Amino acid sequence: MSTDTIEILRRADKPIHPAPESFIKKYIFSVDHKVVGIQYFIVSGLMILLSGLFAEAIRVQLTGPHNTFLTPQQFDEAFTFHGTLMVWFGAIPLVTGAFGNFVMPLQIGARDVAFPWLNMFSFWTFPPAVLILLSSLAFGAPNAGWTEYPPVSLQAGVGIVFWTTAVFTVGIGATLTALNFLTTVIKMRAPGMTFTRMPLFVWASAVTAVLSLVATTALASALGSLFLSHVFNVPFYDPTRGGTVVLFQHMFWFYSHPAVYILIIPVFGIVSEIIPTFARKPIFGYKLIAYSTVSIALLSFMVWAHHMFTSGLGPWVTMPFMILSMLIAVPTGIKIFSWTATLFGSNLRLTTAMLFVLGFLSTFTIGGITGVMLASVPVDWHEHATYFLVAHIHYVLFGGTLMGVLGGIYYWWPKVTGRLMSEKLGKWHFWLTFIFFNATFLPMHFVGLLGMPRRVAYYDPAFHGLNLFISISAFLLAGAFLLLFANAFWSLKKGPAAGPNPWGARTLEWMISSPPPHYNFKEIPEVYATPYGYGEPLPYSAPYDQVSTTPTY
Amino acid sequence: MAHQVNNIDFRRHLDRSFWSVTLVLAVISVILVVLIAIWPINGTLAVAATSDYGIDALFKFMLFVATPIFVFVNGYVVYFARRYKHRSDEPADAVGIPLYGVVPLEIWWTVIPVFLMVVLGVWSAVTLFSLYKPQAGALNVEAIGHQWKFELRYPGLKSSFYGDFYLPVNRPVTMNITSADVIHSFWVPQFRVKLDMVPGMVQQLHFTPTEVGSYPLICTEFCGIGHGDMRTTVHVVSQADYAKWFSGTQQKVAQAAAAAGSLNLTAGDAAKGQAVFEQKCSVCHSMAAFAQKKVGPGLQNILSDPAHPKLVDGSAATPESVAHIIQNGYSGDIGVMPNAQANGLSSSDVSNLVAYLKSQSK
Ligand code: HEC
Ligand SMILES: [Cu+2]
Ligand SMILES: [Cu+2]
Repeated sequence: MSTDTIEILRRADKPIHPAPESFIKKYIFSVDHKVVGIQYFIVSGLMILLSGLFAEAIRVQLTGPHNTFLTPQQFDEAFTFHGTLMVWFGAIPLVTGAFGNFVMPLQIGARDVAFPWLNMFSFWTFPPAVLILLSSLAFGAPNAGWTEYPPVSLQAGVGIVFWTTAVFTVGIGATLTALNFLTTVIKMRAPGMTFTRMPLFVWASAVTAVLSLVATTALASALGSLFLSHVFNVPFYDPTRGGTVVLFQHMFWFYSHPAVYILIIPVFGIVSEIIPTFARKPIFGYKLIAYSTVSIALLSFMVWAHHMFTSGLGPWVTMPFMILSMLIAVPTGIKIFSWTATLFGSNLRLTTAMLFVLGFLSTFTIGGITGVMLASVPVDWHEHATYFLVAHIHYVLFGGTLMGVLGGIYYWWPKVTGRLMSEKLGKWHFWLTFIFFNATFLPMHFVGLLGMPRRVAYYDPAFHGLNLFISISAFLLAGAFLLLFANAFWSLKKGPAAGPNPWGARTLEWMISSPPPHYNFKEIPEVYATPYGYGEPLPYSAPYDQVSTTPTY
Repeated sequence: MAHQVNNIDFRRHLDRSFWSVTLVLAVISVILVVLIAIWPINGTLAVAATSDYGIDALFKFMLFVATPIFVFVNGYVVYFARRYKHRSDEPADAVGIPLYGVVPLEIWWTVIPVFLMVVLGVWSAVTLFSLYKPQAGALNVEAIGHQWKFELRYPGLKSSFYGDFYLPVNRPVTMNITSADVIHSFWVPQFRVKLDMVPGMVQQLHFTPTEVGSYPLICTEFCGIGHGDMRTTVHVVSQADYAKWFSGTQQKVAQAAAAAGSLNLTAGDAAKGQAVFEQKCSVCHSMAAFAQKKVGPGLQNILSDPAHPKLVDGSAATPESVAHIIQNGYSGDIGVMPNAQANGLSSSDVSNLVAYLKSQSK
């Protein structure tokens, strides 16, 4: 589609695509970004649940130092599937495919993404990838962890071929989505919405799209090389035939470090939307938050080797990676400080969504701090590949990504479904999650520092007590999620109607009915300022300036 | 945007309550920092080599910096949440103060972290380079990772061995580490050092054990189903005990070699060999075709079936070469076959086993 076409379509009264009539066009092969977003939400949500079940199986095994609940083989498959499902099939599609698809076009006042058909295609690469991955369980499952370092990963059965194919396939969808989002943000913003007037979630989606677009190619090379090694016995990773095993790690982490930010930057966006809404106050330091997102993204391409400090790179190579990794703490710190400062002088509404975000501030700060510790090579030499690392990644990805995503679910649920959730049940869900999250992952720091490596089915009996405590907390943490499902079911059946703007928010998605009509905006709004000017008139052209911003939940 | 910070409005919130909370958080931070300063890390996890000191100090420095950040972020979040919570007597659409940012504050919280990270980076780099410095007079030991065992080779010992090993206290050590199959890792928590054992590459680890004691050597890099059990013990002992251990091991190696030389392979008793086989070997081997693997391959027809290529460089197996494997162990693509000493075999056991294997080969 040429620029001109996009320009014309953006302004036209005519829909980009007509409202579908058949069930299949409406719900299955839909080109509507909102439906695609919901499809992504459902599939990635199921993947997260499945991944959670694998995690609980791991924790059952670790209730005792020499349990026989799982054989070592099954245990290895369990943590491999836990990680693989969570990263590529759960969290990444959730924050980009689901949240990005549903929210971002609405927030820029667009009627759809730039390439709606491509968007549908991206989604439909996802279910086949899931099937390919799960079928590997029947053919000698991959078992070397989500990182699948060769040579050990090549010792697995043909399952590793399924694994590479499946991840490659979701990678195709992710790349196309990134292309689509980037074009959408650049070309489809409502008139008057300059870059520095974009909502921060839009900033986050755009930056994430750049990361996916550039980094996923490196993942493709890593996967391709594993595939060729296993199927055609190409000696990339066989030192006896001139191969170099560490090469894989470079390609893998050149993708997977930015992937950490693909996982967290959209959540920074979610948090930056929720905080001003419930503080009812402009976000503190809008520009610094936006630019710090960009600088995190740039830095994230220059730090991949911090995952390889023990792989034998030598001091002159590891040192620059170490210092750049530490510097990422600066823009990250800026965000945390700015969010905290936004609470200052606020008129705070402690809704469930807001509680999850406050919880995020607390737990993500810990994840950031341990990240700096791991960035220092000499300290990393002690901590690497132990439970300290496991604790760090879960403080970042559970305490960060998932905590923020839960906030996002409670926040946008009324917009997506048109109904409110129960705040009472939601608050119980928050407190149980927050408490048992910390009870599960905080002790892992100590277990790791004292000498327990990760990815082991058996461990030193000295760590029995702590592991038992961790496992029990992990079961309760899983139990807390039942409250979310109960709440969702209750809301869909009996939840009170939400109205267009239950939270009294000011971004564009709240200026239209809930759920939004097919086609989103009858007229494309004009935008005069950032959305966050609480206490001032809405910065949109009529009729969008008439919406009430008084909370009604 | 023409929004101006409403200074009067915002200063109004920097009142007594705000400053007293700030003071309390500062006091909590100071108390925690002092506690960290006097916390003896080596009481929690013993320090047993020189490589540690720099690392523990760095770790503490990071805790010093992290503690106030953690205390202030959490403290302010809780304080603001309580103080600014919407009250039911306020109008439903009440808003907070129109504060869009405070530039000097934003500059401070950018510049101070940059400074701290540069200090941390430079300090870490200096420590890092010191870790790579070889020491004079170091004992050179080779450590080789196998699925799933550590093999150790000492200069002056003709054969390598698996399992517990010894290091003299206060003598610098250079560990030359590599792997025979997949990536493993060499970690002694009490030494605070860890490097991966990478096939096709030798890495050097320099340290000086400083405390007598026994410490675990743990593989931390996932290496297959035996990863969870891949650990052994390193004993740091006095120079005298080390010398005793070394000469004892030297003797044992010599005895084993002598025993091998004096084997009488023609006098073996197949029936006795079968009993030993069932007791000592059947955990890992079945008396079936080569492909019937347990831990090691099936051993039927070992002297006639060319499917047993590992024996001696692919050449046809002979009773001597089979005896050599049983005597000295073998490690190849399939896994690690323990030696006679580890299997607890006498020299007559070995010749009986060879006779038994011969009787099972057609
Ligand atoms: C801990 C398990 C274990 C035990 C116990 C064990 N072996 Fe082995 N053995 C192996 C493995 C693994 C191999 C294959 C090594 C390789 O090629 O990688 C092997 C290989 C061999 C081979 C060479 C076979 C070939 O075709 O290459 C012989 C002969 C052998 N073992 C004999 C014995 C005898 C006799 C005993 C009893 C004293 C015994 N083994 C005990 C694990 C074991
Ligand atoms: Cu990283
Ligand atoms: Cu291992």
